[in-house]
Order: sequence, then C-alpha cells, then structure tokens
Amino acid sequence: MALSIIIITLVGAFILSSLVKKKREILSWIASSASVIELVATLVVVYQVSQNGIYALNSYLAVDQLGAILILIVSVIGLAASWYSNSYLQIEVAHEVIGFRRVKQYFLLLHLFILAMFFAIVTTNPILMWISIEATTLSTAFLISFYGKPAAIEAAWKYLMINSVGLLLGFFGTLLFFYPSLNASFHELISWQVILDNVYGFDPFVAKIAFIFVLIGYGTKVGLVPMHTWLPDAHSKAPVPISSLLSGVLLNVAFLAVLRFKVITDLAVGAEFTQKLLILFGLLSVLVPAFIIFTQKNYKRLLAYSSIEHMGIAALGFGFGGAGSFAALLHMVYHSLSKSILFLSSGNIFLRYGSTKIKNVQGVLKTLPVTGGLFIIGFLAITGMPPFGIFLTEFSIMAAGIKAHPLIVAISLLALTLVFVGFLKQLTAMMFGEADKEIKKGEAGKGTLLPIIVLVIILVVASFYIPAVLKSLITSATLAY
Amino acid sequence: MTIDYLQIIFLLEAVIFLTIVFMHLVHKNSSAISLYAFQSLIVSVLMFGSALKEASWLLAFVAILMFAVKVLVAPHFFKKLVHSNQLKFSSSTYLNGPLTLVMVAALTGLTYSSYFYPLTILAEKNQNALLLSVAMILVSVFLIINRKGILSQMIGILSLENAIVSFAFLSGLEAVPSMQLGIIFDILVWVIIASVFATMIYKKFGTLDSTTMKNLKEE
Repeated sequence: MALSIIIITLVGAFILSSLVKKKREILSWIASSASVIELVATLVVVYQVSQNGIYALNSYLAVDQLGAILILIVSVIGLAASWYSNSYLQIEVAHEVIGFRRVKQYFLLLHLFILAMFFAIVTTNPILMWISIEATTLSTAFLISFYGKPAAIEAAWKYLMINSVGLLLGFFGTLLFFYPSLNASFHELISWQVILDNVYGFDPFVAKIAFIFVLIGYGTKVGLVPMHTWLPDAHSKAPVPISSLLSGVLLNVAFLAVLRFKVITDLAVGAEFTQKLLILFGLLSVLVPAFIIFTQKNYKRLLAYSSIEHMGIAALGFGFGGAGSFAALLHMVYHSLSKSILFLSSGNIFLRYGSTKIKNVQGVLKTLPVTGGLFIIGFLAITGMPPFGIFLTEFSIMAAGIKAHPLIVAISLLALTLVFVGFLKQLTAMMFGEADKEIKKGEAGKGTLLPIIVLVIILVVASFYIPAVLKSLITSATLAY
Repeated sequence: MTIDYLQIIFLLEAVIFLTIVFMHLVHKNSSAISLYAFQSLIVSVLMFGSALKEASWLLAFVAILMFAVKVLVAPHFFKKLVHSNQLKFSSSTYLNGPLTLVMVAALTGLTYSSYFYPLTILAEKNQNALLLSVAMILVSVFLIINRKGILSQMIGILSLENAIVSFAFLSGLEAVPSMQLGIIFDILVWVIIASVFATMIYKKFGTLDSTTMKNLKEE
C-alpha cells in the first residue's frame, strides 16, 4: 500500500503540475506536498522492511533492506530539494532569470526524475531497472541545460552521450547475466531472484565479462574514474537542488545496480574478482579528484569532484568487504546528507554572488553568515572531520582494508589528506576576506536556509546516534551484499 | 536449425557489420541515416523471423514496433534535423580513412581472438555470427568516439543499440517481448530528446560539430 502511495503521489504530482497554467506557487505547493507524502509513505515502507525483511507490492515491485535505505535517501533529500527549490526558483523568477514556463518545466522534470529513481530501486527486474536509470538520464538532461546557456547545453549533451553509451554497455552486461536464466523464465520478466536461483549454471568467464560491462556501464553513472568526465560538468551546470539530487541520490541509485550484479557475480566466480575491480576503480576515483580539488577554480565543480571521491571511497569499502561494506553503506547515507548541505548552501552563495568561480566569491561569512556557517559544517562533514559520521565510515573502511591491502589504504589516506588540504584552501578563499562592495549583505530568506538547517540537524544526530531501524537495515544489507 | 538458416543469419549479420563499417567511411549525413535505416531494417527482419520461429504474436508486434521506431521514426527525425539545419555533410573524424579502417580491423580481430572466444558458448551453432555482433558493438563505440559530428554520434549510439539487439538475437535472449517493448520505448524517447538537443546546439553554436563546443574547457 505504502509503495503504491509513493508511485501514485509522484505520478499525481506530475499530472497536476502539467495542468497548472499560471501560478508558480501552486507548482511549489504540489511539489512540497508530494514530497511530504512520499517521505511518510517511505517511512512506513522502511519500517515494514525492518520488520519483515522485504516489502513487496507485487512480483514486479519490492523493497529489500538496501532498497529501503536508498528510498529513504531519495525521500529525505527529495523533500529538502523540493522545499529549497520553491524559494530558489522564486528568487530566480524575481531576478527575471527564468519565467513561469521554465519553472513548470523544472517541476515536471523533477517529479519524473524522482519517480525514475524510486522505480529503479523498487523494481525486481534488471531490465526495468536499466530503463529507469536511463529515464533519469533523459529527465535530468533538460534540467542540466535548464538555464539554456551554451556551457549548460554542452554539459547536458556530454552527459546525455556519455551516459547513453555507458548504459548501453551496462545493458549488454545485463543481457549476459540473463543467459543462465533463459530456460527458467521464458517469455517472462526475469527478476533478480530468478537470476540468483540459476546462478550456478553461469559460465565463470561469461560472468566476469558481464560484470566488467555492468561495472563500466553503471560505473559511468556512478561517476567512477575514468568514466567520470561528464559528472563535474553536469553537476555544476544544473540548478543547485538538482545538483544535490544528482550527487546525493542518483549516484547511490546507480551504485545499487552495481551491487545487485556484484552479488550474482560473487556467487558465480567468487568475491575476489569483483572486489579487485571495485578496489581498482575506487582507488582511481579517490586519487584523481584529490589532485583536481586542490587546483579547482569553480566551487560547484569542486563539490562534484568531491562526489566522485566519495563514490570511490564507497567502492573501496565494498571492495574490502566485511566491515568495509557496512561502513560503505553508511558512508553513502552520510555523503548524501553532507553533499546536499553543501550544494544547497552553494545555491545561496550563487544567488548572492552570481558566480560559481571561487575567485569571485570572498567574504561569505560576512555577507551570508548563516550560509557560510552551514557550508563550513558541510565541509567538515564531507572531509571526514570528527565528530561527523564520515570520519567514522572512512576510518572503518580503511581499517577493513589495512591488513589485506596496506598500500591501497596508504595511498587512499594520502589522497584524503590532499582532499582536506585542497578543500580547506578553497574554503578559506571563499569564506574570509572582503566581498565586493556591490554585493549586498544578508541571507535571501528563510526558505533557502531551513531545508539546509534540517539536513544539518539530521546529519549531526545521525553522526552520534544511528537509529536501531537503520542499523538493522544496514547490517542486513551488508550480509546480503 | 538447418545449416542454410545459419548461413543466412551469418550473412545478415555480416551485412549489419558492413553498414557500421560504411558509417565510418561516409561523409554525407544522409548516407549515414540511410545506412542506419537499412541496418535497423535487417534487425527488425531478424526479430520478425524470431517471432515466426517462436510463433509469438507479441514478438511479432515488437518486430513491427521496432520497424516503425528504428526504420521510420528515427531516420525521419534525423532527416528533419538535416533539412532544417541544412546539414549536407557531416563533420570530419579524428582519425583519417585508412587509420579508421585499421582500427576497425583491429577491433574485429580482437573479438575473434582467444579473449572473446569463450563467449561463443552462448551460441555454439552460430559462433562466427555472435563474435561478429560483439565486433559490431566495439566498432559502434569507436564510431561514436571517432566522429566529430553530433548527428554521427547519435547514429553511432543507435547503431550500438542495434549491435546489442543482434547479439541478443543470436544468443536467444531476444525472446522476452516485454523487455523489448521497454527498450523500444526508451529508444524512441532517446531519439526525440537527442534531436531536441541537437537543434538547441545548432541554434547556440551554429554547427553540429562537437569540437566547436569549448565553453566547459574555459572554466
């Protein structure tokens, strides 16, 4: 029932928004109301999963423990993004940057984007998951080119092309996974469970080839190096609430696809093969952004590179396995919250300074004291400073790998140190000093602060206390994946 | 399955492969579009053959839908794009003609090497055709990378999709109609969105040459 409510709400919000002719406020109200309903229904689903292990609407739609964690992330960040979007777009309309038509297009695509992510998580079929993840590409392409500037269109095109190629390769890998299950489920949609039930007929070589294609395909969407080239452009050109969803949520959804196939491959060829690949891609994804963050000139691109780095850390965690996998799942939760705080705060900075270039942004703490404070909290959290949760998860991931992979852990720790120093350098340049006299002091309004403050409260509380339900879900998901 | 049938299948796969090779060589956008339409026609015929073999109405419907989307709708969108923007010639490639052919030969050789050979267990009676479809996948990816023109890149992506569908056909994975329906719908939406983007790019940059888009490099 709760799962139906989520889907009906999203579809309903899309239809209702398409009927709105003039009033921007109605579009905002629909989006906020839909997000609240989704969150409440998600909490019911999460509770049911924690009690029963799985929550199935029918044979095509079901939520397991990992799915429950992810739909919770979608709902929480989705609500914050919708709430923030209302004020953000109001200011953009007031500044005559966009008109009503653009706002309507924004909300329609936002509903489609969230629906596609929900569907990708709850579907029991790998092909439907592939179609849903492809749908996220198609719906967000127009959101990335939202401002219609040449750089935004270029970023959207790059995003569309690279992700389409990546996902087609992922589709090829998916087809190979179907091979052993063909006789079992002819003329039917082959579910994850059917593939798992027939995994022992899977030729090890084909399983390896299939996983490589899946990792390259969905890894492109996750932003793993070297398939990451689209990510900094796309995440930096999209409106900030969309950037927060792209970085904080979509990357995790694509990672879910990799994890689902990892389980099957592990049963077919043993865990060592997938773990080695994840460690390789994870290390590259931690190392490359570390150098780029140090020399970055654009604060939104800086945050985007930080997302690549954190997906790399999660990949390392799953690669190390055991306690590393538990920490990696928790890391995904903390990263979603921290990155959304940073992106939404960067939205406030952009609204005031009108630039995403670090050299044009100085004295944020004086100009936007609350936003500046929130941005610093986000920085401390994302760079793994205690007492924030990412400190614990990064420490646990490295501890899980130190015995078997000491060199990898040593290089990763050096990269994390470089990220901290690089991020601190950029943060100092932005937060302190004197802003141009033309830039007015003062926050844009409560609507652009409250969603971020709520996320900060959730992050701080979750850093000290992980609710029993969430802990049990992560433990069960770790055992399964 | 008789030997004659296998030979026909291999012949059709070879023709699809040749269309991709010619896509690498042609300069006119209209030629690339025609090659894609022809390639899609063969893939639709293969799918229809599968429908007859399985005696499946749903699979026959999928084949007709595939024909409509890939042979009629997508080329129509592309031709409209060419006419509205007066794009007679496609932009150049990164590698010249001979080097392009060397790369195509190398990629094809790679798929017939011992590295990819174990994949033939998926279609033991049709090993050569299966490996040819894997070569098509690699050569299509190379087409996307090597071409500077946006329209050629779009055709490259759709050609890659055709190559994967033909691989699915050869390995017996095509006979899940619901799966095919979802993919065809996805392709239809993709073609529309990519065409809209191509139009936006032409309006902003005055060309469909991807190398002229340098706004992101300046940041």
